[in-house]
Amino acid sequence: MSERAAPPLLALGLAGALAAGAMLGPYPLSPVDVADTLIGRPPDPQAAIVLWNIRLPRVVAAALIGAALAAAGAAYQTVFRNPLVAPDILGVSQGAGLGAVLGILLGLPVLAIQLMGFAFGIGTIGLVMAIALALRGLGQVLVVVLCGMAVAALAGAGISLVKLMADPDDQLPAITFWLMGSLAGIKQADVAAALPAIVAGLLPLIALRWRIGLLALGDDEARTLGVEAGRLRLLVILSATLVTAAAVSVAGVIGWVGLMVPHMARLITGPRFDRLLPVALAMGAALMVLVDAAARSIAQQEVPLGILTAVLGGPLFLWLLARGGRTWAE
Amino acid sequence: MGRVTPLVEARGLAVGHGGRVLLEEVGLGLHRGRILCLLGPNGVGKTTLFRTLLGLMPPLGGAVFLGGHPLSDLSRAEIAQRLAYVPQTLTTPFAWRALDLVLMGAAARLGPFARPGRAEIARAEAALALLGIDDLGPVEITRLSGGQRQMVLIARAIAQGAEAVAMDEPTASLDFANRIRVGKAIQGLAARGIGVLLCTHDPDQAADLGDEAVLIEPGGILAAGPAAEVMTAARMTRLYDIPVRRDALPGGRLHFSGPSGREDQGPVTGAAAGQNV
Amino acid sequence: MMRLRLTALMAGALALAAAALAAETRTITDATGRQIEVPADPRRVFAAGPPAATLLYALKPDAMVGWPRAPGAEDLPFLRPETRDLPALGRLTGKGDTVNLEVLLSARPDLIVDYGTVTATYRDLARRVQAQTGTPYALIDGSLPTIPATLRTLGDLLAEPERGETLAAYAEATFAEIDAILAAIPEDRRPSVYLARGPEGIETAARGSINAEIIDRVGGRNVVAAGPDGLATVSPEQVQACAPEVIVTIDADFAAHVGTMPEWQGIPAVRDGRVYLAPSAPFGFIDSPPSVNRLIGLKWLADKLYPEEARIDIEAEVARFYTLFYGVTPDRAALDGLLGAGHPGE
Repeated sequence: MSERAAPPLLALGLAGALAAGAMLGPYPLSPVDVADTLIGRPPDPQAAIVLWNIRLPRVVAAALIGAALAAAGAAYQTVFRNPLVAPDILGVSQGAGLGAVLGILLGLPVLAIQLMGFAFGIGTIGLVMAIALALRGLGQVLVVVLCGMAVAALAGAGISLVKLMADPDDQLPAITFWLMGSLAGIKQADVAAALPAIVAGLLPLIALRWRIGLLALGDDEARTLGVEAGRLRLLVILSATLVTAAAVSVAGVIGWVGLMVPHMARLITGPRFDRLLPVALAMGAALMVLVDAAARSIAQQEVPLGILTAVLGGPLFLWLLARGGRTWAE
Repeated sequence: MGRVTPLVEARGLAVGHGGRVLLEEVGLGLHRGRILCLLGPNGVGKTTLFRTLLGLMPPLGGAVFLGGHPLSDLSRAEIAQRLAYVPQTLTTPFAWRALDLVLMGAAARLGPFARPGRAEIARAEAALALLGIDDLGPVEITRLSGGQRQMVLIARAIAQGAEAVAMDEPTASLDFANRIRVGKAIQGLAARGIGVLLCTHDPDQAADLGDEAVLIEPGGILAAGPAAEVMTAARMTRLYDIPVRRDALPGGRLHFSGPSGREDQGPVTGAAAGQNV
Repeated sequence: MMRLRLTALMAGALALAAAALAAETRTITDATGRQIEVPADPRRVFAAGPPAATLLYALKPDAMVGWPRAPGAEDLPFLRPETRDLPALGRLTGKGDTVNLEVLLSARPDLIVDYGTVTATYRDLARRVQAQTGTPYALIDGSLPTIPATLRTLGDLLAEPERGETLAAYAEATFAEIDAILAAIPEDRRPSVYLARGPEGIETAARGSINAEIIDRVGGRNVVAAGPDGLATVSPEQVQACAPEVIVTIDADFAAHVGTMPEWQGIPAVRDGRVYLAPSAPFGFIDSPPSVNRLIGLKWLADKLYPEEARIDIEAEVARFYTLFYGVTPDRAALDGLLGAGHPGE
């Protein structure tokens, strides 16, 4: 795809995905019904309820979360100088997961479960940073990542403990389902709750998008080019974490998107973060909208998003690996 | 006579890390259009000195000045505007296009939210053209040879617009022909008035390119001054702790050699003989 | 002095006789076809999971050595006082075992009873636990239609044949009553039903699954046709598409909020106020656990699904069932607390 052709094609693809998302679902609505409802002339009141209260919030949430995870993945891959890291490399998903399953175990209302997921996700990264800072300082990427792995393992142990303590007939299925990710229960209010955090996290990434790319060179080199590498990296990690924690707290743990989409986007744009970011945002949004449409349409029963993204992501990722040299040096 | 302000100057500098001093009382000055070579054995603290001069680590004593300004008073961007850096090799895992890599030289002069525009692209293309590698601009660096990548990094230093460039063994991993090409490029920089601080393991290269040489031994500077005067066989022998022989080649270039496996006792007398060259 | 000695002698003789009785064994065949040797009069019985515990509680509460999970505060008023403080020992049912075999043995059971699905997994589990602990392990088929037979078999096994017979007769009468009601209601007048679980109401159980079995039994047309045997998650849009006429839920939070949740609006059940919260103390009416507690759930559901035809005095029925099965007769206030919450739409 040439550089000039990419933006309109991507915009078209995203628009197509959003339209498909609005059309697809188990409630029978023809494209004409959907269009009529959108312009305020629903064929029947139920069509309006289904579209405005259920399907569109899901489409918007899916777009938002897909974009968020893809952007966070692109950011993490750049600042950690590793094309194989995912947004949960530092344990944000595990941390958020622990918070949410604790909420389920305590029988809290849904909003409180989401808040606990969000708070634990952010708290995990805070803990990782604090430990890394105490050990060696944040300059050493490997130390930060290893601290993240250790803390994530602890959070994983906590999740297992909660599963063990949960009521196997009632809470355990809810916990398992949450950990596989789903937008089945999404509401307008959830979108409204996640939006500020996602926007707040994306803004610095978008504003600093060219400069962030320089972090891919390594700290010393970036600094000699005039970049405050330590501070910028910290800001990027915090922003990407905020975005990921917000996404995970409403949608559960959805793997692969944050790893796979930046890769696909890099095939089009190359590693320049200022070009990569918008493409990753659009592709992440489009992909997640389509995957979520499949999740609600394949069967009567909701298919967890984590299963679908893994089924798509595994083979796709292997294919990308096979043609590796195109996206990264080895 | 008014003293010319050096582009890079170290006064009474002590460098090291973790409170352990590697080098003390280091004084040096890099001037416009000059090439200053740093020579010394592995582990002596050259890289630490380099990093201190670039402001990547704090001095343990003394001070560094860039264009007369204390380094400690300058921001990251202000340092980058005065002193560019060419690393030994490029270590990014991503397949950057050469032009995009050169464009990064603009970072020091762009605001935090800015992206390089037409002017910066023109500058980057000019830097590539100056080194005769303008055809490499759209090529991904993963497809370039080691020598080409080094040239791209030098182009980035040019695009950065600093009056001084620090190079850390830029030819260490290059083959013979590329070594010569990069050497020419370094001389080209000096010819444009840029001061080059060159760290090298190759005494021949130092003697060939360097206007001045600074010999660094454990603890501090062994000698500093015009390269041909400073790099005597005796000093080189002391510096590297092996017998070194210095010969003048036809055309006036200096060649340094150590004991060869085929020579038995030769090098010792050779070194002594070489002293008077 | 003489009298005292005589009494002591007699007590000793009685204890000996009891020990001899307990030591007597007989051989039975359990639902998996395994021949097992069990005590003639089991005194200490370990229930492998909640379904077995409920069954054991109904048949022989004084033989219980513990609960799989400690009963909640809301359950206690409906449980026999002597069972309220029994320890929580964990469950032994293959998926998510939480019992430690040493804890199990320290409860000194002379019989382990498991009640539920009979599969190769559970048969293996029974064989393994019996070999490890040396305690006989009887596995009993847990499907709804076999409840009367199960009550008789287990009553016999626990040396409480009369109790088993009484409860089995009640179960048969209940099935007959439901069949009589259904006979008068043609298929097309039976409502479509959605079972809502979880605070969001989007967890459910499909037709044929053990968690929704009694909905099928009372003729409700479960709108979720296909799914795993167990819980599934659906999206509210799916429920909208299915348009159930009745929603049965076991989640008080969902029942309280469904009227104001935007994504549930317009669904016939919500529109018509036919969302029913199933009582859950001391055991659930729908499942949790899928055991004999579901007998009263059948009547409750019939009353909710066919208010015209069923003609059930549900309060009296609940009081009767609780007295018979749970040994506790709820008073007026307790009944209101139990059933009052089941009328969110009214």
